[in-house]
Amino acid sequence: MARRRRAVGTVTAALVAGILAAGCGSPAGTGAASTGTASTGAARVSGTADVAYAGSLQLLNDTVLGPDFTKATGAAYQGRGAGALGLSKEIASGEITPNVFESIGSAPITALEPRFTTWYVQVAASPLVVAYNPDGPDGPELSRIAKGARPLSDLFTLMATPGFLLGRTDPATDPQGQAFYEMVELAQTALHLPAGTAGKVLGSPSNPTQIFAETALESRLEAGQLDAASAFLSQAVQLHLHYIALPATIDFGDPSLAGTYARAHVALAGGQTVHGVPLVVDVTTLGQTDPAAATAFVAGLLSPSGRAAFRSAGYQLLPPTAFGQVSAVPAVVRRALDG
Amino acid sequence: MPRSQFPGGRSPGAGLRRVSALASLSVGVVVWVALLGPVIALGAHLSYGATRASLAAPGALTPLVVSLESAAISLAVLVIGCSPLAYLLAHDRLPFARLWEAGMLVALMMPPLVIGLLLVFMVGPLTPIGRGLSDLHLDATNTLFALVIAQVYEAAPYYVLGAQSAFSTVDPRLEQQAGMLGDPPRRVLRRVTLPVAAPGLAMALAVGWARAIGAFGAVLIVAYHPQGLPLQIWTTLEERGLAAALPFALLLLLVALPLPLAAYAWSARARVRR
Repeated sequence: MARRRRAVGTVTAALVAGILAAGCGSPAGTGAASTGTASTGAARVSGTADVAYAGSLQLLNDTVLGPDFTKATGAAYQGRGAGALGLSKEIASGEITPNVFESIGSAPITALEPRFTTWYVQVAASPLVVAYNPDGPDGPELSRIAKGARPLSDLFTLMATPGFLLGRTDPATDPQGQAFYEMVELAQTALHLPAGTAGKVLGSPSNPTQIFAETALESRLEAGQLDAASAFLSQAVQLHLHYIALPATIDFGDPSLAGTYARAHVALAGGQTVHGVPLVVDVTTLGQTDPAAATAFVAGLLSPSGRAAFRSAGYQLLPPTAFGQVSAVPAVVRRALDG
Repeated sequence: MPRSQFPGGRSPGAGLRRVSALASLSVGVVVWVALLGPVIALGAHLSYGATRASLAAPGALTPLVVSLESAAISLAVLVIGCSPLAYLLAHDRLPFARLWEAGMLVALMMPPLVIGLLLVFMVGPLTPIGRGLSDLHLDATNTLFALVIAQVYEAAPYYVLGAQSAFSTVDPRLEQQAGMLGDPPRRVLRRVTLPVAAPGLAMALAVGWARAIGAFGAVLIVAYHPQGLPLQIWTTLEERGLAAALPFALLLLLVALPLPLAAYAWSARARVRR
């Protein structure tokens, strides 16, 4: 009996410890900080590059760009990933204080102007694709569309079929969620689909049967519990997902087609209407903490090895260009822009 | 024996005890303030205007209803489904009891986000269980049903281990004596076991309720809709920023706290009465 009571006591103690220790799961990834010791390559700098990046840039930053930066400069790197719009809000409210911000689309950065920054640099495009489950009921047909054996319009006809399990992210919080909604609108016109197809595919912008958190969307597709889902090309490449590529006119990956993309729009629950914009990786530095490390990190992204890392990860390189108050771009970054 | 050997009835030990009591009180206050730090910060950062704007927005209180409704169902599931397990574990009536307890500890230590990811593999729409649920017109993805499943999985280990601890405080000799006096097992349970275990069970219920209504990690994965308060806090933070999200954190505290507080107060009084 005493042994039994001791066992219960142990379990109770574990319960109390668990209650104290347990926290909510977090949707935002937080990259491990690394401290560099190497001394080759770029000039050595001190401090930490504290990088906030759109969630889809997590793998590239934490496994390639961050470690490479530390190796080349000796400075520390730490990263945090979440929806770019949410990160922008958190920066504006002072909840987080990164010194580098990588966004998908410039809107989350321009929302911080002029208090936190006045410029940003365009790095690469992140076009949309439709990732699919090859083992699902419609897997064979989707594979044929991916290979070009069936026309792309079949994809939208299939997605409009009742019972098709489509997943996308929340347009209210995620640029990808907005772009996917707008992509289907553009596809209806571009692919000459019957009127009403977009509505049948998507339902309302916040259709509860289709909207998932970004983390959940990827894992659901990998677990084979969706027929198809919205994704960036980079995510599909990095996660080895099967995907159907889309033409530039609807994939939001070509900045020269900004006018075309702007024709599509999505009305958010709060009454705000958002028009389509190119999905481009934009980066800037913020604040006064460790500016040397921050600018060195951005210069690293624009270096030949940084651009090669973006290309390998499934991004489409764009000519590095500065926007906003170009005169405010730090000299180190300007030199990297000039090649 | 004289009442005290020292003038004024004081002994050197009394002074020491007073210093010790003061030190304990100081440490208690520090720990209490530290634990309440986030709540104090919440109060300090809430503005009346932002709170009013957030709570008065159309549909802003729907997640409150969803949270109360789903947590109440989850609590009922815990009481009905998990109490017998806790009772059997406490009374060593299950074969391989240590194995069951180890399983509970594994579930307890599992990060909620991972629970959600694993639930996708288990009850996703294209799994055998998911197809079975579909035949019953149930869907464990983005529905109230899915929300309850996620809450139950997050809260169950806490409730079971707490209830097991409560049942194990009942002296088995009391139950045996009641049985020897002719009470059938159900009557023994009602008249002896439950009243003796009640204070501990109340606390287990309070913990289960708090875990269910505050569940987030697993909920984020399996039930983005219908949104309860924890998810509303997160989406509002992402969509409109901290100032707009904090009022919902206050609301969550206000609706989640009364039950645990009442359970704690009742449990403490019941223990004192004994």
